[in-house]
Amino acid sequence: MSSVAAPPSTKKNYLTAIKEALDEEMSLNPDMICQGEDIGLLGGAFGVTEGLLAKYGRERVIDMPISEGAIVGTAVGMALAGKTVMAEMQFIDFISTGFDQIVNMLATYHYRTAGEVNMPVVIRGPAGAYGGGALYHSQMNEAWFANSPGLKIICPSTPYDAKGMTKAALRDGNPVLIYEIKELYRKREIEEELPEGDYTVPLGQAAVRREGSDLTFVSYGQNVYHCLQAADRLAEDGVEAEVIDIRSLVPLDEETILRSIAKTSRVVVVNEAPMTCGFAGEIIARIADIGFEYLDAPPVRVTRLDTPVPWVKPLETYVLPSVEKIVEAGQRVVRF
Amino acid sequence: MTPDSGTATVGDQKTSASAPLLSRSESLSAHDLLEMLRQLYLARYFDVRLIKEKKRGRLRGTLYSSHNQEAILVGSLFGLKPTDWISPIHRDMPAFFLKDLRAGWDNPERMGMSIEEVCGQIWGKASSPGRARDNWSHIGSRTKRIIHSTSMLAGTIPAAAGVVYADRLDGGDAVAVTFNGEGSTAQGIFHEAINFAAVHKLPVITIIENNGWAYGTPTYLGHATPDFADRAKGYGIPGLIADGQNVFDVYDKVMSCVDHARNGGGPSIIECKTFRAYGHGDHDDDRAAKYRPQEEVERGRSRDPIAVAKDILVDKGILARSEADRYSPEGKTAGEVTDEDFPPEVVEFMKRGIEHALKAPMPEAEEAAMWVYREGS
Repeated sequence: MSSVAAPPSTKKNYLTAIKEALDEEMSLNPDMICQGEDIGLLGGAFGVTEGLLAKYGRERVIDMPISEGAIVGTAVGMALAGKTVMAEMQFIDFISTGFDQIVNMLATYHYRTAGEVNMPVVIRGPAGAYGGGALYHSQMNEAWFANSPGLKIICPSTPYDAKGMTKAALRDGNPVLIYEIKELYRKREIEEELPEGDYTVPLGQAAVRREGSDLTFVSYGQNVYHCLQAADRLAEDGVEAEVIDIRSLVPLDEETILRSIAKTSRVVVVNEAPMTCGFAGEIIARIADIGFEYLDAPPVRVTRLDTPVPWVKPLETYVLPSVEKIVEAGQRVVRF
Repeated sequence: MTPDSGTATVGDQKTSASAPLLSRSESLSAHDLLEMLRQLYLARYFDVRLIKEKKRGRLRGTLYSSHNQEAILVGSLFGLKPTDWISPIHRDMPAFFLKDLRAGWDNPERMGMSIEEVCGQIWGKASSPGRARDNWSHIGSRTKRIIHSTSMLAGTIPAAAGVVYADRLDGGDAVAVTFNGEGSTAQGIFHEAINFAAVHKLPVITIIENNGWAYGTPTYLGHATPDFADRAKGYGIPGLIADGQNVFDVYDKVMSCVDHARNGGGPSIIECKTFRAYGHGDHDDDRAAKYRPQEEVERGRSRDPIAVAKDILVDKGILARSEADRYSPEGKTAGEVTDEDFPPEVVEFMKRGIEHALKAPMPEAEEAAMWVYREGS
């Protein structure tokens, strides 16, 4: 063991980035309320809201009963009365019990009132598989909501984006769902320096994470890292893959995707949601609609099998996208 | 609670529908009591006139008649402050213009909708508060403090809890009155919202209009309790039963709960016993005549809220019997009443709304794709 201490890292993880975003927005906006299960006294199941209760008090940081419908529904009322609300889903899987309030009240409010009422409500929660969370702590159910006009949906994959996009979402004035990737919350490898002071990352802009000329991987969430690893593997064989992290599903930055495909002519879309009617299918449909002439190979998607997410490792691995499956798909479109 | 207690208070006991209780309305002026009767006429005329318009083919969509249930609306809304929130559902269409009607039927500043706005909505015109994007009762107004409902019953109770939570945080004293059918109490969100409101002692008053039928299902097939006020016990809040045919009893119970709420006592439930005069909607009238036993319908409609109010006012010496009998729509169906059965100002009020609606333009087709998201976002 070394007796010389390493200089303290100023890098921050994904969870800390979100925590800072909430704290800063609560501080900037006295009309903001946070609510969710166990978010106050406990500081959240994962600790995302730690410290907020002590700093902002129980009127603005509300420990809710186990009632996702009430968490969303009261947020709708608070927004109607002029508040901005962050509503936490303890796990994004639990959002199903708040479904009606989201798709019928929250998503449609602005539309139904011909623009009279804005709904600055951000629903955020830990999402995604690969951690052995089994059926009800592993879901990526974003497609349910992508099919409900009126909601924005984002899925940041880096600490920088997690903070900047959460802050942007809280200022957006529309309802925004944030799929936070819980496997990234404390992942050391992705920690990074964050800018001092206030910044936001606009919703609806994709990021090119790796440049390449031979094929394009389009992905979001933790699958972006799987795509980057797959790209490194392919590069060993001289195949250069571009990796696009869409970051925002609704609105979707079609332009960045198209620009890449115009260059590479081949595309693999990767996400960990089930295949049928999943968002990967939507991305491919858009490419087919507006970019078909660029393609030299049929577009391919790598998704979860159309199964729930099973618990133990061999079962979970079997159904989810992996670096190997992505490499294989990449080779397939390049060989076509 | 005793009938002569002056100001009724909300205790943990429920009060029965038969208890004579006029304690709060005792302190209303004769003018106010007569105004309540006038509002009953207005709500009834609105309803029967729409049924006539629909039969004449001048109206699209489904009518959810509030006939025979008007006392619940008038009695609940009459004593509210302009700044209070309300949340009506499909059978409560008159609530939109009854809110804050005491501030003057023609007062454009009042915190309720004008009859032009309401008729603009019913006729599907651009002058509807929601520019006719959703139908019938699915309108509201942030500025006038009316929550916009959806078709998902009990779905606005959490919104009601949310608005008064925010209002209290901002130093306001608003209460929220939500209207619901007894059928909607079987929804999970009913429980979630009232539980939350009870924990935070929020001023949310949940009116349950128990009219015996949830569409085509009688109460006993959906619920094991005959008294929905009993549900309050589980939340640790007061549950009262009101005679839904007696506008003054509804007023008394609601104002008792409003006082309780404004004093920090929290939410309450008021079950108003009533009876649905027709089908679930007008599309259902013919079938309703078959699925509901005729004697039940006759019994249910035997106490017309207009007749009940008149009798009380005559008994109290506020209204002469001859005056009371001057306009008598009570006990008559939409097909049986004429304009002569209503005070002229009532007919005139509605006429103005209809004339406006017939002339108003439709929304532009392109609007259909607007306002999905906030402009510029």
